[in-house]
This record gives sequence, structure tokens and C-alpha cells, in this order.
Amino acid sequence: MKIAYKHLVKNIIANPSIDEISDRLFQLGHEHEIENDIFNMEFTPNRGDCLSLNGLLRDLSVFYDVNASQEIYNEKLNILDIDFENFSQDTCPQISFLKLEIESIPDKYKDYLNDYFIDLNLNKNNFFTDISNYISYENGQPTHCYDADKINGKLVFQELDIDQEFETLLGKKINLTNKNPVFLLKDKVINLAGVIGGIETSCSSDTKIALVECAFFKPEAIIGKSVKYDIQSEASYKFERFVDPECQDRTIRRFIKIVDEHTNIKDMSVISYKFKQNKVSKIPIKTNEINQIIGINISQESYLNYLSKLGFIINDEHIEAPSYRSDIETQNDLAEEIARVIGYDNITRNEITIPKGKKSNIRDLENNLRFFLLDEGFYEIINSPFVGSDSSNSISVDNPLDSNKKYLRSNLTESLLENLLYNERRQKDSIKLFEISDIYTVKNNKINVTRKLGIIASGRAGHNYKDFSKKISKKYLTSVFKETLPNENFEFKVINRELLNTKVTNEIICCEVDIANFSSDVLSYKKISKPPENFIEYSPISDLPCSIRDLSFSIKDFTELDKFVEYILEFKHKLLKEIYIFDYFNNEKNSEIKIGFRFIFQSSDSTITESQVNDIISVIIKHTEEIDGITIPGLT
Amino acid sequence: MSSNKDIFSPELIKDKGSIHPINHMKDTIMGLLVTFGFEIIDGPEIETEEFNFDMLNIKKTHPARQMHDTFYVGGKSNLLRTHTSPVQIRGMLEKKPPLAFISGGKVYRKDDDATHLPMFHQIEGILVDKNISFAHLKDLIYKIVHSLFGKDIELRFRPSYFPFTEPSAEVDILSSEGKWLEILGCGLVNPKVLENCNIDSNSYSGLAFGLGIERIAMLKHGVKDIREFYKSNLDFLCQFK
Repeated sequence: MKIAYKHLVKNIIANPSIDEISDRLFQLGHEHEIENDIFNMEFTPNRGDCLSLNGLLRDLSVFYDVNASQEIYNEKLNILDIDFENFSQDTCPQISFLKLEIESIPDKYKDYLNDYFIDLNLNKNNFFTDISNYISYENGQPTHCYDADKINGKLVFQELDIDQEFETLLGKKINLTNKNPVFLLKDKVINLAGVIGGIETSCSSDTKIALVECAFFKPEAIIGKSVKYDIQSEASYKFERFVDPECQDRTIRRFIKIVDEHTNIKDMSVISYKFKQNKVSKIPIKTNEINQIIGINISQESYLNYLSKLGFIINDEHIEAPSYRSDIETQNDLAEEIARVIGYDNITRNEITIPKGKKSNIRDLENNLRFFLLDEGFYEIINSPFVGSDSSNSISVDNPLDSNKKYLRSNLTESLLENLLYNERRQKDSIKLFEISDIYTVKNNKINVTRKLGIIASGRAGHNYKDFSKKISKKYLTSVFKETLPNENFEFKVINRELLNTKVTNEIICCEVDIANFSSDVLSYKKISKPPENFIEYSPISDLPCSIRDLSFSIKDFTELDKFVEYILEFKHKLLKEIYIFDYFNNEKNSEIKIGFRFIFQSSDSTITESQVNDIISVIIKHTEEIDGITIPGLT
Repeated sequence: MSSNKDIFSPELIKDKGSIHPINHMKDTIMGLLVTFGFEIIDGPEIETEEFNFDMLNIKKTHPARQMHDTFYVGGKSNLLRTHTSPVQIRGMLEKKPPLAFISGGKVYRKDDDATHLPMFHQIEGILVDKNISFAHLKDLIYKIVHSLFGKDIELRFRPSYFPFTEPSAEVDILSSEGKWLEILGCGLVNPKVLENCNIDSNSYSGLAFGLGIERIAMLKHGVKDIREFYKSNLDFLCQFK
């Protein structure tokens, strides 16, 4: 909600700066941003009472002397004769109607009303609707204005199951379905209560007789309606968060006052219905308990003084919450009020002692499995559980975010296969992935959970001169895993590539094992890898294609060998992504060593060119040519 | 090929994989909290409305309970947990105070953009004992934040609203660019929640806190788009060795 600093400060006697008010608002828990001297407020959902200029001033009154009481019409009002029936009194326990006839529509507005539209960059609609919007901004109570000439029959309020088309006053047609709180005229919906009125009975720029409806609707009746019908509605935002059920008389009288300040009122009458009493929270005065909850030592006098400034009524033994604070019910609620006023940052820390819990080993086996896989070059993946394909035991999501992914996965392999193909498309020639996750399935209406380890791998066994030429196969993985964990049953399978949209031909090997099936032998695995001790600053990755170059060197003088290898492996360039030795051969007979290096290039902003690669490679070649006994066979 | 006797062969660099950065962050934070004395407990990702909402004092009118915020499964009889708090409920029903639990894992909400995903990770902690106050909560939060971000980090507490804590707070840290960044939510356990778990709120009080792991990981690693964590891109994952 937007509230202008200018409007706030006009009502605060001390005239604080915008930065000072901003600090105070943060202290009170009211998040906001400031743009062009406008506070864009984001209130927590329990503070519907703050959704107005006066609401915010009420909260700030704990720090400042404020004036949040605008002039109202104080004369006696005639009783309105209206044909109205409320069939859902629990949903709408209080409602008032004001009928107003004006002599003429004013050409221009008083400064305060005009400033509201200008300062907040809002469009004007018509005289009555403009006042309605202004009052909602000023005191938080939404009202709805009907053109009284169009209300030509019995008006009914009811929360009912309905299937009817309804055109909003903004011209949007919506199909009302299921339960909705509505106002009906001759069985036709003319107002989606608490959300938006209808076009058929709305006021226009010519309206001189208006019927103003001012009601309290239970939040549970309004909540979710604006989202369901895709309607932006400030009224529903307020009703969902609770408006003051006791402010209708004041709102009606304020409405009349504003109309009266702009034009002559020819006739007016009011009727108020109170079908149910508003519940009042009365909480015993227990200062010690407040001190215990917060961990402070405030005097009773200061405690009650703060609450009084916030509008609480203090009796001999009780504290009565004001009607607009439906969120206050307990001592803890009152403690939060005091903590806000003192300032959370001003509450002194008190050393905590934590009762020692028992050491849990529920994840020890999993952690050892993870480190075993890390040591074998596998990367851990986390996948979303939402998938498009179902199996006979899949659980479906009632309200999926994406209708193409409306099931919870019943295995890990399908997601891991997608991960593998994703990386193959990015030119990865050695892919080893794993995931540990719960899988949910249903059988005989019973939900079952299984914790699983999924593994998938394809391509080269590794990026070193021993593994480069080996391909990952069922036999290869089985032997590697058996060597370290001989008693575990991984049961590797080959995935048929024929149904996959890929030109790569490497075998894809996978397995999926219930964590419960692993033996305690896993617990004795001695891990080699260590997780990074410091947090790594991530470098944005490139989606552009890589370029690969291989260089093979012949070395006949071994004295410079270590230096030479170090030079190559440590060579840095912003376009050079990776270097590794993919081949090594020591021909002892000829006293010659051959080493093959693979260079992988990639740019972050454009596809890398041959010429860019050649420039970098030529620097390396030039350096190595200067080393005695090292040549590049075939290079002329 | 090289033999064992080959004294010239270069060091054989065996490829190592990496723990997913979100799991690494989760392990780091939970490991820290275990050293403070917290016990790790686990709970299911498919929950009931009773444990996910009712027991936590989240009323039927709360926006989180709407179909547009929560994933329901099995004809609205169950849901994907929207937070790890139901695990604390299960823990409190099982054990008597004093108690100190932490739980971490996947949670689900109907969101999808550069800073929100339908699946993300949380760690929550709860401590119930005699005479626990907001001042104790502050002490614990300072210890956690200082351990994660260093002793020099500036932090602030702001009042907030969670139905299961009262008073409630959100905690921000001051970034090196001078911006306040929200990192966790916390509060004193609402006495109604203690009573729901058969704990006498006149004798015991509690504190609770919750961290979004992706949020912390994004801050620590400088990742700008949360979706990067879940693309399974090896170029991304290999940076976290």
C-alpha cells in the first residue's frame, strides 16, 4: 500500500523527517520502500489495521503526538427506508447504508482530496467513487457506491453457491462459481461483496443520488476471491486482513462531511444493522509475565503507558484491545507490542544455555555413500519432484503449478536421465551423477515413502591419462563399486538410447537402490574427499559452445619435464576453461615420453572463434619451443 | 603406458565430484547447530493439514492455506509441507521438555521466479525450556549469524508475523554494498502451539527459528538466480568442490 510522507507528516506535530519516520516504521515492523516521498508499505498479514493513513498514524502515535481524527458530520441523521435482507449474518455481521442526493457535481475538489490523487498518481473516477477511495485511504474502511436510481428492488446479501456471469465495474466479465459473498438485485449479482462492484449499478460522472454501502465482512469469506477471479482489489486486500468492525458510523459521517464540503446535499438518510456483537479481547495486566517473555525489566507504569498510546484501554485488572486489533489475544501478543515499541535491537541479549540433545546418526550412512561417490567423481544433483509422466503408483498433485508436471515422481532415474542428457547437450563427455531423495508412491490409498539413492553415468571414465580412453560401462562401474563396497548390491542397468533424442552413442548406466538396503559396512568407508572449508565465490557459467584442442608433446630431455608440465597445467586465460593430461606414454626403449594435453575453451559473451583459440595456443607453443628437448610432432 | 616404476609420470589427478551446494550449506548449518547442542530430527515431506497448519496455529483464513499457495495431493487430504515446522510439532509430541531440535529439508510452495522456486530447502530449530525469553532468542541468533557470516557482520531484528511464534522477528544482515538482506525468521513459540503439543505453556516457553538455505547459499556464493542450483549443469556444480 502506498502512503505519502506528506500526508503522514501533516498529522504529526513534531514534523519528523522522512528518514526518521522510515526508521520508526522499521522498528515497528512495517517494511517499506521509499520512492519520490511515497512509502510503499508491506504490512504483515495480521496488521490489517495499518492499511490506511490513520492506521499508520495510530501506530506512530507511540512515538509522536499525532492527529488522526478528521472532521466528521455530527448532526442527527434521518433513518433510511431500504428494502434489504441479509441471509448470511455470520459473514456480514454489520452493515450500514447511506443514501445521499446532491444538488450538483463539483467542478473541482478541495486541496486534501485533490492532493490524494495527485500525490499518489491516481486516476479520478466520479465524485462518489473518488470520495469512497479517499476514505479507504484515510481510515481503512472500504465502501461501495451504487447509483441509487439503479437499485430498483430488494437488495439481498448472501454467501451462496452460485454459477453466474458477472461484469465488474471495470468491465471485466467473470464467471462466479462455488461459494461467493454477493449482493443480489432480483436474483442477479450486482456486487461481489468485499471485492468489486458491478457495472450495472455503478456510479457514473452524472450520478447525483448515491447509495453508499459500508460493511464488515468476515475475512474468511473474502480471502482468495480476488486471486481466483484475477481481480486487483484494494478492498478485498483490506477485508482479507480484517477491517475495524466498529468504524462504520464514523466512516459514514466522514463521507457526508466530505460531500458537504464540496456541494450542497439535498437529502440524506442512513440505516445501520448490527446483527452480531464484535468480540472484545480482555487480557489481565501481568507486567512480570511481559518482562519474562521479552527478557527485560519494564515498570508497570511504562508498560501501560505504551499500550495506552497504541489505543489499548486500560481498566483496573484488564487490558482491552481496540476493535481494530483483532490480532491481540494473549500476553505474548502484548509482549510483542512492547518489544516493538522498545525496539527489538534495543533488547539486550541474554546468554542462552541449550539442553544437550543426543547425537543423531540418521544421516551417517547416507553421508558415507555421498563421499564414496564424490571420491569416484560423481556430482550430487537435487531434482524437483514434479514430473509429467505417471505410473500406476504415482501420486497426483491436485493443484499443480504446471499442468504438464502434475505427478510426484515415483523413481529417481527419469530425472537423472534428463540431467545426463542436459549435460551431454553441453558437450560433456564424462558425466557421473547421483541423487539421494525420498520417493512417494501410493498403494491401496496409503502413501508410502522410500528413501533412495539414484546413480547415472555415461561417457569417459575420467579426465586423466588413465581413465580418458576407458568408457563407462556396466562392467566398469560394477568393478569400481565392488572394489570399495564389496557387500553392497548396486545392480547397474543399461538404458536403451534408441528412444532418446540424442546422437551420442555412449552407454548410459544407472541404478536405483533403497537406502534401507545398504549394509552397515558403508559406515566404515574412509572418505578421501573433503567438502570445501571456505565458501566459494561462484563464477557465472556460459551456455555458449566450447572449443577443444589437443596438443601432443614429445620429450626427450627429461630434466625440464616437471617444469614443462607445471607450465601447461597452470596456464591461465579467461577463455581457457579446463586443461588436463589425457595421454601419457613413456617409451623407455627410445628414451622418449609423449604427453597429450586437452585444452577446452569457452567464452561467456560470444561463440569462441578459431582465431581466438589459435592465439592462445600459439603462446603455449612458443613457450614450449624454447625448452630444449621438447617438440610437438607434426608441427612445422 | 606408464608403469609403477615410471618416475617421470605426471601426477595422476583423479576426478572428484562435489556435494550439491545446497546440501553442503544445509550440512554446514546443521553441523554448527549440533555443536550448539541441538538434536537432528526428520519428518515427512507429505504432510496433513493438521500438522502443517492447525497445530501451528495457522488458521483456515491464512493465505498460506489457499490452493494458490500450497500444493495439495490426494484430493486435499494431504499436502506437500510448506515449511519444516511440522517436524518440530512431531518432535514436541514425542518428547518432553527440555528439548532442542533442528530439522532440515525440502519444502514446497506455489512460486516460480528468479528468487522463488516451488521446491526449496529450510532448516528450522526449536528450543523449549523453562524461562526462555526473547533476549535468549537474540543471543542464539547472534551466535548463529556470527558463525555463518563472521563476527563483524552487522545485523538487525525487525518485528514480523508468523502464526506459530509470538513475538516474531525477521533478521537482516548488512551487505558489503550497504543493503539490508533478510536471512532468517524467528520468534518465541506461540503458547497455543506448545499447548497443542501437550506442553504446559505456564511452565515452559520456547524459541524457534528458520532459515531458507537457498537464500543463505545465494548470499555466500554470490549466485543471483536461484534456478541455477537446480539445472544440474556440471559447469555450475564443479565450482563447489
